Amino acid sequence: MTMTEPLTLDVREILRSGGEPLPKIMQAVGRLAPGQPLRLLVTFEPLPLYAVLGRKGFEHSAVRHGEGDWEVLFAPRGAEAGSGAAAVAAVPHTSSDEWPMPSAVLDNRGLSPPEPMMRILEALEHLAPGQVLEALNEREPVFLYPELQARGAVIHTETVGEGVRLLIRCAG
Amino acid sequence: MATLSNRLSRWTLLLFACALVNFLAAQGLILAGMTWPARALSAPGTLAAVHLLVIGWLLLMMLGALFQFVPVITARPLTSQRMALWALIGIEVGLGGMICGFFGITASPVLAMALPAGATAVLLGVLAASWNVGVPLVRARPLALPGRMVLTGLVFLVITVMLGLSFALAFTVPALAPYLAGLLNAFGDHALAGLGGWFTLTAMGVSYKLLPMFMLAPEDRGIPGDCVHILGTLGFALAVAAGVAQVWVSAGFLRIAQSSGYVAITIAVAIYLWDIRRIYRTRRRTAIEVHNRAAVGAFGFLGLAAALAISSLGTGRPAAGAPVSVFLVVFGWLGGLGLTQLYKIIPFLTWLGRYGSALGRASVPRVQDLVRERRGGQWFVLYFAAILLGSAFALSGSAPGFRSCIALVALATAGLVTEYWRAWRGHYVQARHAEAAIPPFLASPRE
Repeated sequence: MTMTEPLTLDVREILRSGGEPLPKIMQAVGRLAPGQPLRLLVTFEPLPLYAVLGRKGFEHSAVRHGEGDWEVLFAPRGAEAGSGAAAVAAVPHTSSDEWPMPSAVLDNRGLSPPEPMMRILEALEHLAPGQVLEALNEREPVFLYPELQARGAVIHTETVGEGVRLLIRCAG
Repeated sequence: MATLSNRLSRWTLLLFACALVNFLAAQGLILAGMTWPARALSAPGTLAAVHLLVIGWLLLMMLGALFQFVPVITARPLTSQRMALWALIGIEVGLGGMICGFFGITASPVLAMALPAGATAVLLGVLAASWNVGVPLVRARPLALPGRMVLTGLVFLVITVMLGLSFALAFTVPALAPYLAGLLNAFGDHALAGLGGWFTLTAMGVSYKLLPMFMLAPEDRGIPGDCVHILGTLGFALAVAAGVAQVWVSAGFLRIAQSSGYVAITIAVAIYLWDIRRIYRTRRRTAIEVHNRAAVGAFGFLGLAAALAISSLGTGRPAAGAPVSVFLVVFGWLGGLGLTQLYKIIPFLTWLGRYGSALGRASVPRVQDLVRERRGGQWFVLYFAAILLGSAFALSGSAPGFRSCIALVALATAGLVTEYWRAWRGHYVQARHAEAAIPPFLASPRE
């Protein structure tokens, strides 16, 4: 299956003028043909949108082109990854099949060690066994691993752009 | 899938503790008037103090840091935690032997033998340490810049110690290896290999990781970073090799090679300092902690030491400026960088060891709650100011002035050691957290 040409939506102007782009995004999602991805141009990484569209069956991959300039590709699950953002930072096949959707998302970028580790361990305490936490970090949290191991949690790490994306499943 | 394994180095804090004791002991020797500039450069007291500084303080501090740092950058464990302890024992015992040997050379031929025996023990310790961090580094190739620089540094470390052992043999048993006798004239190259090829390249590599990590600056240093590594390596290798070769062969091309080495080193240092400035300027974290604010002093002293070395070589009077350059490198650049980074590393490791398992489950202090940055900052100001003043006294030939500055350096060092101790003991942490156990130090962390 070849990937359909994505529908591009640029909401950077709306965001810069302080507007709410969600209705336009959801409209665009409604207009998508079966299997067609959405290419979204935004001023920041739209973390809450990941969960919203994730529930609608979309995988996301984001590329930061510069300060206040993000390109995020939302591809319907099962569509073959093509060029552009998806090729750079595609979520590995196994993660979406074998891991449940994240119940919480933490953006730890812009924080220096050990703050990301503290936030992750704190967030995990609020999750039920088996639930997944998604965290975006500046770098691999090497000191976190022994703690996760001691707590019986499982982690999947992948490089995304200049940082790393972590999926952590609570023990249970 | 990331490998899950313990990432805390078991013996690092003990190595730091030994290193700091040795640093204070060396300062004690200087204060007692047993060293340069009160005595000759080749006086037993000077040799003892210099080796207490470079082996006892800088080497142990650097190895302690590498035992923790290398598993972090390679995502691989050390070859063996126990090997780190054996390295420490070999180096400490060997250093003790060497110091006995320095003082015993004139007293008794038997006591003098402690010098090569001690140097052999140091070599064994160094080989164990190099193997311990070298294997994970080699296995983790392709390495990023910090790892490559550390690996290069380790090669220079082994060369330096082997040169040192050759000196010890030439010094004490000239009959054993008569062709080594001339080597004693190459002590400057021994110092350059150690302070430059090993310590400076390694410190540069480590700083290229630690600074961006805590200041949130780009870690990829691009072509400038590669230039620092390549020019630095070539420069130190050329200068040391050509310098040593001139012990046996006097040839024009060797002098040209040596000078080319000095030029390459100078360019590498200049690019490095420019690049470090770039890290500070492009950082995303606006308010930086005291250890990185104070580290600016160490970088300044690297520049100052290089400038002084160049000017004394340029004027054809290296004997006048070289000892002061070495003082600036040992106390200002390497010592300063070490003390400032320990101000972060010790609380960080203490915090991980003590509160790691409680994170998320109970209220725990932050790493910065383990220190009082204002106090640390004041000690760093005193430390660097005293070194600057001390170098001026040394250049002007005032031994009493130099010694009074060292007294201030010792005061600042003792102040910082007290702050490290307090961080480790949880002195500043509020009472509600104080009941937590003392962190792993001599005890093993969770395996």
